[in-house]
Amino acid sequence: MDYSKVLRNNNKIVSRTGGQRQGPQYTSDLSLRFVLNGNERYDIGRRHLSIYPDSFLILNRGTQYSTDTDLGQQVQSFAINFDQQFLQDFKDCWTFDNDTLLSKGYGNGKLQPEFNETIYPFAGDIKYNVCHLKQHLDNGMQDEMLINEYLHHTLINYFHIYNDEICKKAEKLDFLNQGTRVEILRRLNLAKEYLYSNYNQNISLEDLAEHACLSVNHLLRTFKQAFGLTPHQFLIQLRLKRSLMLLKDTRYPVNEVVGMVGFECPSSFIRLFRTHYKITPLKYRQSA
Amino acid sequence: MKLKYIPVYTADFEGQIDFYTQKLGFKVTGTMTFYEGKESTVIQSDKLNVALLVTNNDGNSDKSNIIINTADCLNDYHVLRTAGVFFCKSPAYLPAGLAAEFLDPAGNKFMLLEERNYNEQ
Repeated sequence: MDYSKVLRNNNKIVSRTGGQRQGPQYTSDLSLRFVLNGNERYDIGRRHLSIYPDSFLILNRGTQYSTDTDLGQQVQSFAINFDQQFLQDFKDCWTFDNDTLLSKGYGNGKLQPEFNETIYPFAGDIKYNVCHLKQHLDNGMQDEMLINEYLHHTLINYFHIYNDEICKKAEKLDFLNQGTRVEILRRLNLAKEYLYSNYNQNISLEDLAEHACLSVNHLLRTFKQAFGLTPHQFLIQLRLKRSLMLLKDTRYPVNEVVGMVGFECPSSFIRLFRTHYKITPLKYRQSA
Repeated sequence: MKLKYIPVYTADFEGQIDFYTQKLGFKVTGTMTFYEGKESTVIQSDKLNVALLVTNNDGNSDKSNIIINTADCLNDYHVLRTAGVFFCKSPAYLPAGLAAEFLDPAGNKFMLLEERNYNEQ
């Protein structure tokens, strides 16, 4: 269902179906981009990111981007843009106590949040809340108090994810300097989003390292520290996870799914799938 | 066997019934006598398959803890708050899912719980 809803507090929600190319444009506010069906490509500078239903993208205010989808593909995308003042109020509610919020000097500081613009996992609470919100909006719900309640909780969920994916993972890196940890993690996230976006291609370690602006050895060592997996293990898990979606939501034969998620050999795919999920792909499809 | 009744005791019987019927959407479906000389009012909601038994407490200070399962905690929290229910705990994330809590006039605690599967593959 297609709609664009601007709330009285200037939060904006956009739902789009169908593939369409959108030329270069700038985000006016902090924006969360979800794809509930199919996949959508975002070009941000030299980066080309693909968003699938298991991930979402965050864009900071003022980021230039363009989007595209595969021809003829049915894509369902959903975007939430948070007004600056809403974001500021949200942050203040979590940062200050009631006395400070009511005091005279409150409100002098201005928030200019800059989040790590990368792909985050779309799962757990944020998925439940966004899907509930979308269902209400699809059904024509107009109650802005309730919509803002969902948006407030979506931000709570996002900050939890940010803490898990950025802050905690940076802490795991074996560097003394905090600035170095943050910079290395930023580059590792470039590698991670490259894997997310090209999971079904042949990816060499050299390509990955070059994309992350790290040497191969440095990438291997730090990737494992931050994510607990080697890039290869991460890629295999991602391919298996995406094969679940294809097995559950489409009717492609298993042999075709193997190729679609980037495996070359059906038998090794089936072996890995069974080892990982304790069920064969065919039985999973029958039970899903 | 099935769970059928949850007893709630109150000193303000009328206020308690008003709260359940006007704010929570229950309906009075009858009365029942469990103990000699002590009548309870049975109230039910279309959405719940358990009835509440509202009884004058006569010195009984027992409080009930009732967990209501919801498919959408934020929506029901908003609907009930709009109806005038005061929540002592706004929606918060638990290992089991999203939950909010309110008290009825007699101090019985109700939890709205939206169970969530965090291990979904």
